Amino acid sequence: MRKVAIIGAGMTRFGRSEATLVDLLSQASLAALGAASLGERRVDAVYVANMGAARLNRQTAVASALVDALQLFPAMAESVENGPASGASAFKNGYQAVASGMADVVLVTGGERMRAVNNLEATDFVASLSHPQAEYIYGVTLPALAGLFTRLYMDRYGVKPEHLARVAIKNHANAAKNPYAHIRQEITMEGILTSPDAVVNNPFIADPLRLYDCCPVSDGAAALVLCPLETAQTLGGPVVRIGGIGQATDTHAVHERPDPTQLSAVRLAAQKAFSMAGLTPKEIDVAELHDAFTILEIAESEEAGFFEKGKGHLALEKGVTALSGKLPINPSGGLKAKGHPVGATGVAQLVELVWQLRGEAGQRQVKGAKTAFACNFGGFGNNVVASVLQREG
Amino acid sequence: MEDRVCGARCTACGKESYPAHAVCPKCGGLEFEAFEVSGEGKVLTYTDVYALPLDYALRYLRLAIVELNGGLRATGQLLDEEPKIGKRVRATIGVVRTSGGRKIHGLQFVPM
Repeated sequence: MRKVAIIGAGMTRFGRSEATLVDLLSQASLAALGAASLGERRVDAVYVANMGAARLNRQTAVASALVDALQLFPAMAESVENGPASGASAFKNGYQAVASGMADVVLVTGGERMRAVNNLEATDFVASLSHPQAEYIYGVTLPALAGLFTRLYMDRYGVKPEHLARVAIKNHANAAKNPYAHIRQEITMEGILTSPDAVVNNPFIADPLRLYDCCPVSDGAAALVLCPLETAQTLGGPVVRIGGIGQATDTHAVHERPDPTQLSAVRLAAQKAFSMAGLTPKEIDVAELHDAFTILEIAESEEAGFFEKGKGHLALEKGVTALSGKLPINPSGGLKAKGHPVGATGVAQLVELVWQLRGEAGQRQVKGAKTAFACNFGGFGNNVVASVLQREG
Repeated sequence: MEDRVCGARCTACGKESYPAHAVCPKCGGLEFEAFEVSGEGKVLTYTDVYALPLDYALRYLRLAIVELNGGLRATGQLLDEEPKIGKRVRATIGVVRTSGGRKIHGLQFVPM
C-alpha cells in the first residue's frame, strides 16, 4: 500500500444557492484542483459523495455528470451514497484507489442541493434513513432520534441545556470567522436560553433540543485532491498526509443498541483510525466532529477518546474545545453553523482540517496544528467514518 | 391491515429481536417465528417533536423508546400527558400515521 496525501482542498460557501447541484460540485472541484498544482497530471478517478440527488434534484449518476462538466474523460467515476457519511466514505474510496496503486490522482467531491425542496420534504428525505417499519412510520425524524438520545444523555450524565447552548455559541462564534459558513452570526446564552425572549428565538424542535441545537438545511459542495505521498513531496509547500481512516457500523434501529447513549460505531471507527495513524487521541491538535445536533459534538468527543464518557460537557464548560483551547473542536463552525449539505459534510470537514494543517485557516487558525481528526456520522450513528490527518515535517 | 406489530424469535436459540433481521444477532440462526411485540414496560426516553414530519397535523408528536418486560425495546408513540423516564406503560396498537389515505398501524404506549 502506498502512503497518500491530500494536495488540494476547496469548497463553495454553504447556504442557500440558486446553482444546480452539478454547478456546485464543479465549483468546489475547480477550487480543489486549482489549489493542487497538478501540472500535466490528469485526474484518474472521481468519487462523488451525494445522498439525495435522485429525490431532491431528480438527477441520478451525478459522478458522470461532474466528469462531463469538468471534461475529465476518461477518468473512472462513481457516486457514493452512504447517508450523512457519504462524504468521508467517498474519501475512503479515494484513499483506497491511490493506496492500492489503481489511481495516481483522485478527485473526491461531495455536494448536496437540499434547498431545492421545502424544509418538510428535506426533513422527510433525511428521515428515510431511519428504520422503515420500526422507526419511520411513527413519525421519527433525525431531530426526533436526537431528542430521544439527548434526554437519555442528560438524565444519565448530567448534561444541562446550558451545555448544549455552549456548543452552539462556540460553533457560531467560529463560523463567524469562516467565509464559507452558512450562518455567520454570533449568538449569546441570553438570546437562546436565559432571557424571556429565548422561547421565541429558540423554540423546541424535538424537546429537549431547540432550534439552535440543530444544524441548518444547506446547499453546498466541497472537494479534495489525493495523490501518492511521494508525488506530493515533489510539489513544494506543506504536505498533508492521510494518517488513518476507520469505519464502523451499528444497529439500524437505535432502540436495539444495548445502551442507546453509547455510539459504538464512533468509538470503533476512531480506534481504527488512530491505530492506523499510530497516534492517540491526546496527540490530536484540532478536530471536526459531526454536530448535526449539539449533543453529538459532546458525545462524539467522548467516544473518539478525547474525554471520558459522560465528561465531554465538562471539558466544553472549561473551554478546552474552544478555538483558543487545548483541543479546538469544530473551528469551521461545524455542521451547526457552517451548515450541513449532507453529501458535502464529510468532505468539508476534511477541507477545513487540510487548511488548518497547512496554516491557511485565516482568523480561525489553530496555531501550529500538526495533527487533525474528523468524525463523519451517518444515520443516527449506524455508519461512521473517522479520519486522522497529519502534517509532514 | 396488520393490527399487530411483530418481532422475530430465533427457532434455534430463542432470542427475540425487534425489528426482525435475516440473521439472528445472538447465534447466527436463519429460522424465525413471529411473535407479537406487546405487554408492559417502562419509558427509557421520550421526546416531543414540534418540527413535524410529513403526514402529521398536530401541535407536537410525542415519541418514546420503551423497554418492555423481558428487556425487548421498541420505538413508538407515547400517549401520555405526563411523560417521565422510568414511568410504567403498556403497548397498544393504533393508527400511527395516515399516508396518502392509507392508515398505518403501530405501537402506541399508554400509561398503566
